[in-house]
Formats: sequence, structure tokens, C-alpha cells
Amino acid sequence: MTFLKVIRWMVWKDLISEVRSRETISSMFFFALIVILVFSFSFSMDQQAARELIAGIIWVAFVFTGIIGLGRSFSVELQNDCLEFLQMSPASKGAMYLGKVMANLIFMLTVEIILFPMFVIFFNLDVIEEIHILLLIFFLATFGLSAVGTLFSALTVQIRAREVMLPILLLPLVVPVMIAAVEATKGALNGDPLAGYWQWLELLAIFNVVFTVVSFWMFEFVMDS
Amino acid sequence: MNKVIRRIQRYQGWFGAGAAGCLLVGLYLGLIASPPDYYQGEVVRIMYIHVPLAHTSLLAYTVLFGGSVWYLWKRDPLVDNMCHAAAGLSAVFTSLALFTGMIWGKPTWNTWWTWDARLTSFTVLLLILIGYLMLRTFIDDPEREARFAAVVAIIGFVDLPIVHFSVEWWRTLHQPQSFSLRGVSISSDLLFPLIMMSIGMSLLFTYMLLVRTQMLYLTNLLHAKKGRLLGQFHLSKADS
Amino acid sequence: MIAISGQEISKTYGYYQVLREVNLEVGCGECYALFGPNGAGKTTLLRILATLQRPTTGRFEILGRDGVKERDTVRATLLLLAHGCHLYEDLNAWENVQFALALRGLSLAQRQVKAVLDRVAIGAFADMKVRFFSAGMKKRLALAKAMLAQPKVLLLDEPFSTLDKAGIEILKQFILETLARGGGVLMATHNQEKAAEVAKRAGVLSHGALKPVPLQDLKTHDFS
Repeated sequence: MTFLKVIRWMVWKDLISEVRSRETISSMFFFALIVILVFSFSFSMDQQAARELIAGIIWVAFVFTGIIGLGRSFSVELQNDCLEFLQMSPASKGAMYLGKVMANLIFMLTVEIILFPMFVIFFNLDVIEEIHILLLIFFLATFGLSAVGTLFSALTVQIRAREVMLPILLLPLVVPVMIAAVEATKGALNGDPLAGYWQWLELLAIFNVVFTVVSFWMFEFVMDS
Repeated sequence: MNKVIRRIQRYQGWFGAGAAGCLLVGLYLGLIASPPDYYQGEVVRIMYIHVPLAHTSLLAYTVLFGGSVWYLWKRDPLVDNMCHAAAGLSAVFTSLALFTGMIWGKPTWNTWWTWDARLTSFTVLLLILIGYLMLRTFIDDPEREARFAAVVAIIGFVDLPIVHFSVEWWRTLHQPQSFSLRGVSISSDLLFPLIMMSIGMSLLFTYMLLVRTQMLYLTNLLHAKKGRLLGQFHLSKADS
Repeated sequence: MIAISGQEISKTYGYYQVLREVNLEVGCGECYALFGPNGAGKTTLLRILATLQRPTTGRFEILGRDGVKERDTVRATLLLLAHGCHLYEDLNAWENVQFALALRGLSLAQRQVKAVLDRVAIGAFADMKVRFFSAGMKKRLALAKAMLAQPKVLLLDEPFSTLDKAGIEILKQFILETLARGGGVLMATHNQEKAAEVAKRAGVLSHGALKPVPLQDLKTHDFS
């Protein structure tokens, strides 16, 4: 019971702080916008090329903005030594982990849902029929990012050169998420039958289960002495 | 000094000698005695180096994983030294495996690099190991360094099979695996030197692991002793 | 029962030895004051006792519970009041208190929280974001959180700094209340005069080694 309560309080705390300061979501959003712009300049795409590349571009933008959000997730805990407070707290570290994963998931999904219409407009995508499956892909892949990213955010925030180390450690590990998300998104945008890319959703689900469990266990060692 | 270290010092020579013996026999059989391959000709001989290197890098990472779990459980600094040593060696063996793979790839596949499942997985492995080694240099508290490094090693180890599967699926989707070694049966006069080399390389890794672990342990011991003397000096100066 | 008991605690960073075999005992209902110049290892010692760091060698017990093996039990009984006040800038005072208590598994009546906030004289600012608080107000809010948590073992790192006279008086009262409840208090400070008013015993950390000093020396010697 207290376990669920701690999760709820952690999510509540992060959400309230974000609603008041709007620091994380707005910085993620504008960073993503810039990424989209840079991509459209550097590839100068026509309709045909856009269809080939768009899934990759979407996910590169999402992963990079995700890293910004994840990095902030624990660097805000450094103010007034709040991280220390969490470490000293008798509450379950696993519950704190799940709370943070959820808060990060909410932030990242919010940004993705605001951004996606922009991709649709800028790159002339046709998505109405596949929107539900796209949302499922976004959810699964973002959950995977959040599950591993939250652990590494908590880890890198306690070391030197933390802004550099988070992407260096995180990006190789989320290669499967990247591949699966891009392939599934490509399938959905092309209007392929679901069976054609269903395996990628399964891969994402497996990744999420494995890494939620392992990170839940490892978080204890990251937060504790 | 630590009992384990003394035991290592007594037995490490056997591993070194064993490695030298196996590697010499394996190299002779592989490079001179064995016949050239029907399709690849003399080029195939790099296999006797490349494949054992790849095996050993995975062995090293498995040792790193086991050691990391052990460290988090027992918190023995010596185990952490072993992990540090295994990670460095794994990185070296992985880079050599990638390098020899590229040399092999040029004449047989006619390209230095291809995004084949195995090559890609090994590249990801190398990136994880480099991240691991970088992380270790960015932490001041040795206890925290050991703990965080163990976490990274464990997560990376769990990730590797998933990376491999995802890349393999991805490859089969985009182009048939014409390059794959799988299905090519190896005749026994090629297999025996390969096994010799693999055993030799594993023994070499073990020997290097023992030496390197010892080195890291003794360096830490030296630092600690130096620190204690330095502290005593300051203390006596403060008293007088 | 012994509130804090440390046996041969050492802490080493590479070859820099911060603490060398510190033995320390603080009984229940006793306040121990820790002095020493900057960099003597006071904060490290407090952080180890607060379960934030592990000692390199040696062990410690809080209320008879091993500080490493029974960490979660220990954490529920102790509280560290440190420089960073453990406050979230975008939450208001009220929410900060609620969050801190929730993580300790406590839920107190609003009336009780209000009373304590009034006692540290920030009741009027309870709805204000902590971002707009001054350093002294933050310290007072941290003090309020500690008062509501009612820890059995209290670790204080430079508690008197940034507080005004009235604030110091409230803190002193809180220390005395904790002692009266049978709690143990360990404080690291440079303020010998104030420490002498509450402490029963005192010690000086120098280059990581702890030496006890008689209380009457606090008035005459400068230990920092």
C-alpha cells in the first residue's frame, strides 16, 4: 500500500512542478522543433523521399528530445540536495523508480503528441487510419526509453560530465527500441497490414518488461550507498 | 597482502604457459599445416585469429557480468578490480575482433564494413564497453565507481541478446543474409586448430585478467598506504 | 540504549583518507557536538551516519540497528538536517512538507502541520513557492519538516548558519525537545557558544581523527 502511495506522490510531485515551471516540456518541445527543421533542410525531401525517411526522422527527434527530458528528470533533484533526501528516505527505491518512469513517460508522450501533428503537416503524411496503432507504437517505445533512461538519468546525475555521459551510455542500449520503433512506424505509415510489423511491437513489449524488471532492481544500487 | 592475490601470483604462470602452448600449436596448425579453404583460399586463415578473438571478447563480457553481480552482492573491492580488468580486456578483444573481421571482409565480401547482425552487435558491445570505461573515469568515490560500473555492465549484458535479435530481424527484412557464415560447415581439419586457438585465447585472457586484476588491486593498495602515511604526517604536524 | 554508535569508521577516496578509525558514541537523550576546521571530515562522518555513504571500513549502529545491513529500519528513525534543505523549488511550503512526510510513511492532520509551520513563523507563506523563499526561510521550513517527522536520532550539519536569532532559538528548543523524548543528537558546527548551551559532550575532528574535548574548553579554546 505504501508502495503505491510513494509512486503516486513521486508522480504528483513531478507533474505539479512541471505544470508550474513548464521547464522540461517546453525545452523538449522547442528542441524537437529545431531538430525537425534541421532535418527538413538537410535532406530537402520530396514526397517520395519523405515516405522513406520519415519514420527514422520522427524517432531520432523523439529520442533526442527524450534524452533532454530524461536528463532534467534527475538534475532538478540536485537543487537543494533533494536527491540526497530521496536516498535517505525510508521509502522503497523501487517505488521511486516507477514513479519517475511514469512521470518521464507522461512528459515524453505529451511532447510526442504535440509534435506528431507537425510531422504530419510538414511532411504531408496520411495517418488518419493508422492513428491508434501509431499511438500504441509511441507508447511502447517511449516506455522502453523511459525505463532505461530513468535509471541512467539517476546514475549520471551523480557523476562528473553528466550531460555527456547520459547519451553515451543510453543510446547504444536503446538500439533495439530505435530499430523496432522505426520499423513499426514505417509499416504503419505505409499502411501495411498489421501482421507485417507486429513482431516489432512484440519486441518492444519484451524489451519493456525485461528492462523495467532489471532497472527496478538496479535502481536500488544507483540510489543507495 | 590479500590471500587471493597471493594465490593468483602462485598460479598465474600456468595460465600464461598454457596460453602460449595452445596458441603456438593452434597457429602452426592453422597457418601452416591446415589446407586452404575451397572457396576462400588462403584468406580463410584469418578465421583462426578472428573467431577466437570474438569468442574471447564474449567470454570476457560474461566474466564482467558475473563479477558485477558478485560485486553488488558482496561489495568486495577485489571483485571490482577484476570487473575493471575484464571490461578493459573485453574492449581490447572486441576491437581486435572487429578489426580482423574488417580485414577478412574486404577480400571475401568485397567491403570493409556491412551492417551484418553480428558486426552490428559487436559494435554496440564495443560502444557499451567504452561507455563503461569512460564512466569509471568520471567518478571520484571508488565505492560509487564500482557500484555504478556494475549496474552499467549488468544492463548492457541483458541488452546484448535483444540487440542481436533486433538487428538480425532488421537485416533479414532489408536484405537476405548472403554474407552469413551460418550453414557453412567446417571440416574437422579446420575445426581442430580453431578449437586450439579458442582455448589458447581464453587462457591468454585468463592470464591477462589475473595480471591486470593484481595490478589494479596493488595500485589501490599503494594509494591507500600512501594516503595513510600522508594523513599521519599531517596529523603529527597538527599536534606539534 | 545507545542512539549512535560508530566503531572504527574510516573513509578513503583514492589515497585521500577523510576519516581514520573514528569511534563515537552518543547516548539517548544526549547531544554531542562535533567541531573541527573545514575539510576535517565532519560532513563525511554525518553523511555516513545518515546512510548516504558507506564507510570504507568499520561499522555503525543507530539505536542498536546496523547502519548498513538494516538501512531501511535505520532510515525511518533518523533525520539529517543539512545545507541543502531538501526542498523542491516549484512546490509550495505546504506541499513540500506533505511530500516529505509521505515518503516517511507519515500522514499528519492539517492542524498539526499548520501549528508547526506557525511555530517556525512561515505559516503565512505556506502557499508560496519555495523558489521565492530566502535562505533563512528555507532553513526554517526544513526545520519544520524535521519537527513534524519527530526523528529519534537527529544529525545536524551546521544547523545554526543562515538562521536568525529567533530561528536559532526555535532550533535549540527542538533539540531540547528531541533530547527530552529520549532521542540522540549529533551536530557538526562552528558555533561553539550555541553548541555549549545544548551539548553534553564534544569532540574535535582533525585530519579525520576524532578527539574528545571537555565542555568547559568550548568557552576558552577555538577549535575550528
